[in-house]
Amino acid sequence: MKKRNIVLLAGMLLTLGSLSGCGASQDDTIVLRVANWEEYIDEGDWGEDEVIELEDGTQIFGENSLVDDFETWYYETYGQKVKVEYSTFGTNEELYNQITIGDVYDLACPSEYMIMKMLREDKLRPYSESFFDPEIEENYYVINVSPYIRSVFEELTIEDQKLSDYAVGYMWGTLGIVYNPEVVSPEDASQWSLLLNEDYYKQITIKDSVRDAYFAAITLSYYDIIMDPAFLADPDYHEKLSKILNRTDEETVARVEEILSKAKRNVYSFETDAGKADMVTGKVVANEQWSGDAVYTMDQADEDGLELCYSAPKEGTNLWFDGWVMLEKGLSEDPRKQQVAESFVNFLSMPENAIRNMYYIGYTSSISGGDDGMIFDYLKWNYEADPEEEEDVVEYSVGYFFDYGKEDADERYTLLTSEDQTRRQLYAQYPTKDVVDRSVVMACFDEEDNERINRMWTNVRCFDLKYFFSE
Amino acid sequence: MNKLTFDRKMLVIPYVFFLVCFVILPLLVIVYYGFTDGSGHLSFENFLAFFTNPKTMGTLVYSLVIAVTVTLICLAIAYPVAYILAKGEYAKHHFFLMIFVLPMWINFTLRITALKEILTVIEWNLALHPFANTIVGMVYDFLPFMIMPLFNAFTKLDSSMIEAGRDLGANSLQTLTKVILPLSVPGIISAVTMVFLPAMTNYVVLDMMYNSTYIMGSLIGSYFSSFDWNNGSVISAILLMFIGLCTILTNYAVQSKAERSRA
Repeated sequence: MKKRNIVLLAGMLLTLGSLSGCGASQDDTIVLRVANWEEYIDEGDWGEDEVIELEDGTQIFGENSLVDDFETWYYETYGQKVKVEYSTFGTNEELYNQITIGDVYDLACPSEYMIMKMLREDKLRPYSESFFDPEIEENYYVINVSPYIRSVFEELTIEDQKLSDYAVGYMWGTLGIVYNPEVVSPEDASQWSLLLNEDYYKQITIKDSVRDAYFAAITLSYYDIIMDPAFLADPDYHEKLSKILNRTDEETVARVEEILSKAKRNVYSFETDAGKADMVTGKVVANEQWSGDAVYTMDQADEDGLELCYSAPKEGTNLWFDGWVMLEKGLSEDPRKQQVAESFVNFLSMPENAIRNMYYIGYTSSISGGDDGMIFDYLKWNYEADPEEEEDVVEYSVGYFFDYGKEDADERYTLLTSEDQTRRQLYAQYPTKDVVDRSVVMACFDEEDNERINRMWTNVRCFDLKYFFSE
Repeated sequence: MNKLTFDRKMLVIPYVFFLVCFVILPLLVIVYYGFTDGSGHLSFENFLAFFTNPKTMGTLVYSLVIAVTVTLICLAIAYPVAYILAKGEYAKHHFFLMIFVLPMWINFTLRITALKEILTVIEWNLALHPFANTIVGMVYDFLPFMIMPLFNAFTKLDSSMIEAGRDLGANSLQTLTKVILPLSVPGIISAVTMVFLPAMTNYVVLDMMYNSTYIMGSLIGSYFSSFDWNNGSVISAILLMFIGLCTILTNYAVQSKAERSRA
């Protein structure tokens, strides 16, 4: 009996101890609640043979997760303990629903259209002025962000608010098609009409997402206009293309509905998540895909000895990005949080950490490394080919990304790579200038248009009694 | 001092709590959202919109066709199996029952993924037969839910009734139609309700079997994911009414038949 009492007492003391520990940590530890996509940050624990060794001898290795590394780094830099509560979401809509239901986050990483939606609903807090000061050493984001990404951000406004004040880039890419070159000709795969191409009847998947399907269909419905040579040569080509591909009027939506209904009968399926695996196993021969997922798919297929390619269709592609935004509701709880949130973004923007992320998740970071050549070196580490050892070595320029608008940028940022990489991982990860020129950001639909487009989508997906006996 | 004593009735408290929190309150929320517009005013617009849109009606028809087909096939397979398991010479071996119920213990997405691979080998391209694949997937998924209630009904069925029927000169067919079938009706009804409604709404099977056409479940899901709580709720409510109506009608039919046979 006595023994049991002692155990009980010990248990109580332990509980008390941990409780008081909790109380103390709440006092001097700042908690940062971060919401990010699933598998969208380096979680560390790399194998020993995975060390990235760059040309200048720099070694990069993910031992701990970046979140843990941030906590250590922050304590070493600012002498303040922080704790990151890291949670993940699967879709933008899921994040939005969580926030509306009452979950509170301080920092989140939604896609461009969701950032616009949140900005319109006054959910975001702008970054502080000092965050954009390149003189401060710890401002890694401003120092290292790609000038191209910065210019894209600066052009975007919603209700007279500049997006660049509220969001900073994390990952970016294009929307394109992953295809099996043995079955699908590169010519067929280089256009969105592939989705309607009856040669590949029931062998192609589209993404099960209104926006992605809408984008593919709208390029087709304005094909004659946007592929007209005069239009292509127009000095305001990009601006005009962006206007057309962002149309949401009734006539456009009706045309899109017709095209998608046709596509639905021609494609294998609208896939939510199976597309990547189905490309690798060969169930489908082409698949609408985000560039980052495309890299992942091609890597996976390479392991199985299957060569897949990526194309960014010639009619135009959707330039997408995920960016870090600070949420007003969370930050208002503790005035010290904003600085921590900004530091988290800065920490992820160190070239070394950007490389760790890219290596781990396969997407393309918005960080170009400023004057530091590390990111370009990483590109070389990944894709450079030696003309003396390989045939078909070509030059590949990505100057726009590292030094946007400078004439000699391409000279400094050209690497030698094998010819097939111009259609594969390199092309998906760092598209060429001509792809970027025909890529547009798809803004968020406003309430009324959104309703119409959702109704259109439901109509496409619902069972059409006309085809009762054919299905 | 009035001591707090344990009453047997208090055992019901956990369930009442559960019932209120997870059944009654959500139902009220569904009805509230279903019959109001975005700004909280009473409205039947969503309700009428469902019945006037040929596309959503098409989905209702499609879901019904799937659900009826799946239920009938499941019943046709499960009825004799359940009878044999309960009454035949295998009745004493629980091993056989276990084999039929075993799939329920394995994760459902895993099973469907495996089925998908098998069907791909057979058909080469799954997308050519989306309807057939859906039926196969759902039958595979729901069969144990059909077998269990029928099995229970048959174990409770008094064997002396069957013997009595035989003694009075009924042949096998007559025993089946006049004795076994009427006595197993309650089992059939509960088995059918276990399968019918899930078959109308379980869109995960469709997604996994590459059927891109919506059924009622996916329609509800699509409204919810576009933040349209009102339309999503009204369809849930319509589905609920539909099932409720079916249950009432079958109960009524069974009861009146029972009364007639008694008379």
